Amino acid sequence: MHNGHKHALVEVRGLKKTFKRKDGTVVEAVKGIDLDIYRGEVFSLLGPNGAGKSTTISMLSGLLTPTEGEATIGGHSITRQPLEAKKLLGVVPQEIALYPTLSARQNLEFFGRMYGLSGSELSKSVDEVLDFIDLRDRHKDRIDTFSGGMKRRVNIGVGLLHKPQLVYMDEPTVGVDPQSRRRILDTVIRLKEERKMTVLYTTHLMEESQELSNRVGIIDYGQIIALGTVGELIQKVGEEDRLIFSVGEQQISDAVLERFRTEVPGITKATYAASEFTPVAGMEESAELVVEKRSTGTMRVARSGQVLDGEITVHAKRGRKALPELLRVADEMGVDILSVEVREPDLEAVFLHLTGRALRE
Amino acid sequence: MDKILSVARNDLQVTFRDRSVWLQLVIIPLVIIFFIGLANGGFGGDGGSPHLLLDVFDQDGSALSTELLANLKAANPNLVLCPADNDADDVCRLDDAELTDTLAQERVTGGVTSAMLVIPAGFGEQARAGQPASLIYRSQNQIGETGPVLQALQAEVQRLGGAMIAARVGVDVFENSGLMGASFADENDRAAFDRQLYETARAIWAELPPAVTFNESAAQEGRQPSGFSQSVPGIGTMYVMSTVLIGSLILLQERKQWTFQRILTMPVAPGQIVAGKMLARFVMGMIQYSVAFGFGLILGVYFGDSPLALLLVMVAFTLCSTAFALLLATIVKTEMQAASMLNLVVLIAAPLGGAWWPLEIVPQWMQAVGQLSPVAWAMNGFRSVIFHGGGVESVIPSVLVMLGVTAGVFLLAVSRLKYE
Ligand SMILES: Nc1ncnc2c1ncn2[C@@H]1O[C@H](COP(=O)(O)OP(=O)(O)OP(=O)(O)O)[C@@H](O)[C@H]1O
Ligand SMILES: [Mg+2]
Repeated sequence: MHNGHKHALVEVRGLKKTFKRKDGTVVEAVKGIDLDIYRGEVFSLLGPNGAGKSTTISMLSGLLTPTEGEATIGGHSITRQPLEAKKLLGVVPQEIALYPTLSARQNLEFFGRMYGLSGSELSKSVDEVLDFIDLRDRHKDRIDTFSGGMKRRVNIGVGLLHKPQLVYMDEPTVGVDPQSRRRILDTVIRLKEERKMTVLYTTHLMEESQELSNRVGIIDYGQIIALGTVGELIQKVGEEDRLIFSVGEQQISDAVLERFRTEVPGITKATYAASEFTPVAGMEESAELVVEKRSTGTMRVARSGQVLDGEITVHAKRGRKALPELLRVADEMGVDILSVEVREPDLEAVFLHLTGRALRE
Repeated sequence: MDKILSVARNDLQVTFRDRSVWLQLVIIPLVIIFFIGLANGGFGGDGGSPHLLLDVFDQDGSALSTELLANLKAANPNLVLCPADNDADDVCRLDDAELTDTLAQERVTGGVTSAMLVIPAGFGEQARAGQPASLIYRSQNQIGETGPVLQALQAEVQRLGGAMIAARVGVDVFENSGLMGASFADENDRAAFDRQLYETARAIWAELPPAVTFNESAAQEGRQPSGFSQSVPGIGTMYVMSTVLIGSLILLQERKQWTFQRILTMPVAPGQIVAGKMLARFVMGMIQYSVAFGFGLILGVYFGDSPLALLLVMVAFTLCSTAFALLLATIVKTEMQAASMLNLVVLIAAPLGGAWWPLEIVPQWMQAVGQLSPVAWAMNGFRSVIFHGGGVESVIPSVLVMLGVTAGVFLLAVSRLKYE
C-alpha cells in the first residue's frame, strides 16, 4: 500500500525531547523524529520498552513541549494552536486515565464535556461509545469494579467521544488477557474500516504492528530506525524464509547440515540446536500432551517426558520451494522429521536485523 | 466557563464519592467544635472573660447614688462593681491593691475592666434639686459606640429621670481640665464643656486604639456570645483550611492516575482546569463553613447581628485558603509530602491564629506572631462581629488583608505552575 499521493494529517519534523533528571543527568528520550501520518491509515510505532513511544505521543498530544522540532495536526501546530489541533484528536493514554470511583458513564460524560459536548449530543455520544466498547450493560458500575480489559475498553472509549478524525493509542493492549487483546485489535480495525479514522498506534508487539498497520515506524533509543509498509521493511532484511524442522530426540550431525547447504539450491544457512524440554512441574511422568507456547505466539504440542527438543533451522530464499529437496536429503541421512514450520520474515526479524537485539527483552 | 463548571462538578462528584468526606466535613469538626466550645465556656459566659468589671468611685455616697448602682447591676447581671463586689477569688482582679483613680484608669486602658465610673460628691443633691449633675464614665469604647456597661448606665440614668444627666455621661477628662465634679454656671459654659469633652476624648482615643477587650454588646434580647461563639468560627475556620488545602493532594492524585494529563490532551485551556479545581475547593470550603455555623445555629449559639459581615469573612478566608492550596500544589511532589505539609500548616496556623482559643488570652508576643496566620485575620473578622457587635464595616480591614494575600499567593502559584 503506497500513500505517497495521500494527504498527511499529522506532520512531524525534527521532534526532540530531552529530560533533565534531578541528579543533573540528561535523558534524550526522543532524538529527532520526522514522520507523516496519512489520512485513513493505521500507523504504528513499534519499539521496545523505553524507546520513546509514549514521549512522542505526549508531544503529539500537547502534553509535553518538544525540546526542538514541530508537529502539526490537520495543519494546526500542536504548540501554537493547541486547541484547534486537540479538537481533531482523541488520545488513549498508556495509563488507565479514568476516575476509579466514578461509573463508566460518569467518566464518559465528564470527558465528553471536556471535548466540548453537552446536552443531548453528549448523551447520544456516550451511548454510542458504550455500545461500541460493548459496555452498555455495565455503564452504571464504578470503574474500580471492572476487569483490566474492561477498563482498557473504557479508556479507549473516552478518546472516541467527540468522533475525532485521528486517534492515538499508546500500547492499548498492555496487561490484558488474550481475549481482551483480540477485542481491542478488532476495535482498531473497525475504527479504520467503519469510521475511516486515522490511527497512531504504539506497541512493542510486532504481531500487532504487522496485523494492524498500513505503515510501521520502528523506533529504538528515541530514533525511527526504519519506516514503511510491513512488506517494505521485510524486504530490508533480504526476504529470507526460515524453515524449522523438529527432530525430537535425534542427534543431528554436521554432515546433514553440510548436505543441506551444498545440495539444496537457495539455502544460505543451516543450523542445529537442541534444548532440554522441561515439562510442567508435576507432569514429568504423565503421558499427557503438553502445550508449549513459542516466542512467536504459536502453540506447539509436545509429549511430556520428552527431554530433547532438537531443531534444524534453515534459511532459504524461497522456503517452500526448497522444502521437498530438504526432506529428501533428510530421509537419505536417516533423519526423521517430526514437523516442519515455514516462517516468513517478520518485523521481529527486521528489528533483529537492524539492532542485533530481540524486540522483547 | 462551561468547562470550568464541569471540572468543578467532576471534582465535587469524586470528592463526595469517597464516604470519608463526611468524616472530614461533618463528624470530626462538629465533635471538635463541641468540645472546644465547652472548654471555652460552653453555653454560658463568653469566650474571654466571664464578667464585666466596672471600677466605681462613689464619692457622693447618697441614697440616689446607691440606688443608681443597685439598679445598674440589675440592668446587667454580668456587671461586677469593683471594689465593692470583690470576692475571695478576686473577681475584680485587684490583687489586693488599693483602687485609686490612676489604677482604675490603667485598668481601663489595659483592658482589665470594661469601664470606670465616678459619681462625684454632690451628685445626688444636685440631681434632686433639678440642677445639672455629672457622672464621669470612661471606657475604651469609641465615642458613639455604646458598650454594655454604658448602655446599662444610660438606661439607669434615664430611669432616674435625668435627661439632663444623661447628656453628661461622658468621659473622664480630669487629667487636664480639673473639671471633675464641676457644675456649670450657664448654658454657654455647658456647651463649652461638651465641646471640650468631645475633643479631649477624641484626642485620647486617637492614642488608644480600639482594644482587644471584652465589649459584650449582649444583654439585648438576652442573647450572648458563648464558648461556642469562639469554637464554631475557630474550628470551622481550621477545617475550612484543611478541606481546601486537600485540593493540592487531589491535584497530585489526578496527576498520578493520569486524568489530569488526559484533560490536558483535550481542547481545554490549562487555566480552565485550574479554575475549575479551585472553584470546587472554594465550594467545599463554603460547605465546611455552613456545616460549622449551621451546627452553631442548631445549638442556638449567638453570632452577632451581621450575617453579611460573617459571610464576607468566610468568602475571603476560603478564597485565601484556595490560593494557598494552589501554591502548595506547586511545591509538593508526592501525596505523602502533601499530606504532611497540610497537617503541619493547619496545626501551626490554627492555634497560632486563635482558632482554638481567643488570642486575647495568650501573651502579647504570641498575639503578634499570631497575626501572621491567615486564621487570625479571619478570627479578627469573626470576633469583631460576634463579640464586639460589629457590622460589615468592622470586618473590612480583615477581609481586605485576606483578599490582598489571596491575590499575591495566587499570582505566585500561577507563576510556578507547570503542566508537564
Ligand atoms: N519525565 C521523565 N523524566 C525523565 N526521563 C523520562 C521521563 N519520561 C520518560 N523518560 C525516559 O525517556 C525514555 C523513553 O520513555 P517512554 O516512556 O517514551 O518509552 P516507551 O517507548 O513509551 O516505553 P514503554 O513501552 O515502556 O511504555 C525512557 O528512558 C524513560 O526513562
Ligand atoms: Mg510507553
